[in-house]
Amino acid sequence: MAQHDMLPAETVHDGRLGISDVVAGSCQADAVGPAGAEGSPQGRDSSPRPALHTPDEPVSLKGLGKLAVVLRSMWSQGEGRFALVVLACWIVVSLASIVWTPKKLWETDGYHVWAPPSADHLLGTDGTGADVFSWLMAGARTNLLIAILSVMLAGVVGVTLLMAMVSRSKMVSAISVVAVDALISIPTVLIALILAVPMGASIAVIILACGVGYGLNLARIARPQALLAAGSDYAVSARASGASGGYVLFRHVLPNSLPSIMVQLSLSAGTAILAESGLTYLGVGVPSGVPSWGHSLSTSVKLIDVYPLTVVWPGLTVTVVVVALNLFGDVLRQAIDPIVNTALRKVAA
Amino acid sequence: MRFLIRRLVSFAVALLGLSVVIFAALRILPGDVAVVMAGLNSPPGRVAQLRAEMGLNRPLPQQYIDWMAGLLTGDYGKSMLTGQSVTSMVVERASITFPLIIFGLLIASAVGLGLGVAASLATGNGVRTFFRVFGIVGGSIPALWGGLLLVLLFARGVGLIGLFPSQGFPQEGWGSPGAAFASLVLPALTVGLIDGASLMRYTRSALADVMHNGCMIEAMACGYTRAQALIHVGLRVIVPQLVSVAGLMFANMVTGVMVIENLFALPGVGSGLIADLGDRDLIAVQSELFMLAAFFLLVGLFVDVLHRVLDPRLRRSSEGRM
Amino acid sequence: MSVSIRDLGIVIGSQTLVSDVDLDIADGERVGLIGSSGSGKSMISKAMLGLTPDDAVLSGSVNLSGVEAVGADEVTLADLRGRYVGTILQDPFSSLNPVTTVGRQIELPLRLHYRLSKAERAGRVRRMLAKVGLDAGLADRHPNELSGGQAQRAAIATALITSPRLIVADEPTTALDSIAQRQIVDLLVRLVDDSGASMLFITHDFSVLARATTRAYVLEHGRVVESGATSDLLAKPSTPQAGRLVGAARKLALE
Repeated sequence: MAQHDMLPAETVHDGRLGISDVVAGSCQADAVGPAGAEGSPQGRDSSPRPALHTPDEPVSLKGLGKLAVVLRSMWSQGEGRFALVVLACWIVVSLASIVWTPKKLWETDGYHVWAPPSADHLLGTDGTGADVFSWLMAGARTNLLIAILSVMLAGVVGVTLLMAMVSRSKMVSAISVVAVDALISIPTVLIALILAVPMGASIAVIILACGVGYGLNLARIARPQALLAAGSDYAVSARASGASGGYVLFRHVLPNSLPSIMVQLSLSAGTAILAESGLTYLGVGVPSGVPSWGHSLSTSVKLIDVYPLTVVWPGLTVTVVVVALNLFGDVLRQAIDPIVNTALRKVAA
Repeated sequence: MRFLIRRLVSFAVALLGLSVVIFAALRILPGDVAVVMAGLNSPPGRVAQLRAEMGLNRPLPQQYIDWMAGLLTGDYGKSMLTGQSVTSMVVERASITFPLIIFGLLIASAVGLGLGVAASLATGNGVRTFFRVFGIVGGSIPALWGGLLLVLLFARGVGLIGLFPSQGFPQEGWGSPGAAFASLVLPALTVGLIDGASLMRYTRSALADVMHNGCMIEAMACGYTRAQALIHVGLRVIVPQLVSVAGLMFANMVTGVMVIENLFALPGVGSGLIADLGDRDLIAVQSELFMLAAFFLLVGLFVDVLHRVLDPRLRRSSEGRM
Repeated sequence: MSVSIRDLGIVIGSQTLVSDVDLDIADGERVGLIGSSGSGKSMISKAMLGLTPDDAVLSGSVNLSGVEAVGADEVTLADLRGRYVGTILQDPFSSLNPVTTVGRQIELPLRLHYRLSKAERAGRVRRMLAKVGLDAGLADRHPNELSGGQAQRAAIATALITSPRLIVADEPTTALDSIAQRQIVDLLVRLVDDSGASMLFITHDFSVLARATTRAYVLEHGRVVESGATSDLLAKPSTPQAGRLVGAARKLALE
């Protein structure tokens, strides 16, 4: 305490020069967040770059513990619960439709064409007298297949491009960045039309077009985070201690980009469902005779002037499922963010 | 400047690459273009004649070079069906598709930006929920179904309130502007509302991110109210981002536009391409695909450049930091 | 402008950030508010002007020369801000509008509160730039083309352009390097004293506080734990909290 009295003002002021350097360093985390958000939990949470604070903490969802925490936190919100229930129903119905539908798909009722909903035909019949409900059930599995395969392909294409974009080889990264920038403006439907010339209408056209198109999107969206992870001290030190470039990419960069990749992919699944209905209607998607929601929707369009009600069901089905996939993505974004989801931090610790 | 040159080079390379892909797509057809075009049950002489006419008996690289040379000199070939030049066909169709896209984009921007700002300023729980539901559900509706719902509501003859035609485009085209415009209202609304809902969601979340930014607080500290700061500063700060998103959205919007053209029987670029594909008019299809690819690459180029211009942070200053 | 804060409380959600704060600033006085990060000092300055987040709930009273700020409507507050109260924030790079020029940023309070011709505004901006020691040519630059010190000078110019009666400086030196820090504090003190305005200076750094203020409040966990003349606080902190802050300054000074 005695020293305080002896400290001349000048020393304090000189000392300040020393202090500020240290202070400036220690305050960087604050400066990165929204300015003046000090003491405001809301300001912190809404920071668009929370990953900056913990770029090296792998937020991958390894282990069932984390999965359970994420699912529970999604389930705890109304929107998340809706999404999970709808998606679960979708999967159950798809599987069920393989062994059972209320009516045989090809069983047509010539006397009851365009019939309104009844006990016999839950959602009525279409122009050939086929049961609309049964076709929607069977369509569920085609759309599930399309969504899963498109997302998987988009994931492979996107991650490959992403890895090329953050690669240490200047040439590889420059070329891939420029290529993605240029090609990203090519619409999915154009890719589908080019593919449809030799392939005709086929499920593969949808999957390839969506996979490539959404893969490009994914690479562009996940790039900032991947770059951040690639430049983090952790990745740099791993490299310094002799880890190969590929090891660093797969052990550090990929796990850190995983949250944004997963969110983007779940949104892509919804877009793929929408693309299916559009492409099938245009005649370059699911071939005629194969049940799909796009097929049901297109069939019901033809006589809309006369039977407007038949168009409700397939459109409603598609909309509800796509809403669920979008909500799933939104809720997932929060549930796998360790800054928002505190329970996740406890599991990781 | 270096950015512009790099971007132009990538544009040219991408276009060249896509032209090869399109060319290849038409050559790996089972059989060859002539067989497909002549159709089954055609006399054998017809196929040979077509093959000679289209130069299909030349080697592939030669064919590709001839095609490209034609494209570069503005010769996009002739439709095998009607004999009309592909260029004039596409120009005719574009006179419908372009206005449709422009109207659609205008509606999407008005809805997206307007409701996005309104949603950011909304404080009531009910209002917030409404905007959230609108954004999520609006962006999840298939274009085909959305168009049908609008038809059921507003189309003459079918709809509850018959206001607009639901089918076709007037014979005289833009010669009767009133009728032409009326026939585009429902198609443009369909495309615009669906993409407007997505743009609204994006605007809202981008505004929520800048809401607590220093520059918003600074703007309010200078004397703006919260709402004014959001509109004058917040919106301006996210505009470059929004331009990029709108560019991506535009690419997604095209599937919807093609579907909508078919649904409303508008003889536009999309429905025309689908018809040519169905008619196996492959020379026309090949050139049309190339034109579309070129157009979209150009849009992407334009969006990237516009993003740079609008965001001074990305501009390379000649002096650099002092 | 005199400030009188009584029983100020700030709650966001279930978190109480500030409680029972009393604070006075007399006309022309330079008063400091010091505390470690997260102590709620920034929130107090925001509460004075209605700049707290949407979901913050305020209680108590903030009296700015007879105008009650707590519970005032947005238009009244917006009229105070920029006209009678100038604010300087911590990080100039995040607070200056990145997509507008420095000159447009500085003249914003003038445009919002006074009817002046373009030429008059430009003249005032030019004179203000000279006062804060910036080259007139910088008015056409964007913030990302400035150095940290230059940007904070531009932010000071923005806060002072309308000759406000109160300056709220919220950690204006934290984001700067050490040499720029001292220059900025000295500049701010000189300009504020010349104009006769009052100032509330917020910092977590006692050595900066000593240079900028005559009287100060020490804040910890949202409560005022000690107050008095800045030199007394620095020499003889009577509470352990203030002692820690002074001690931290001393320790770093000795290293």
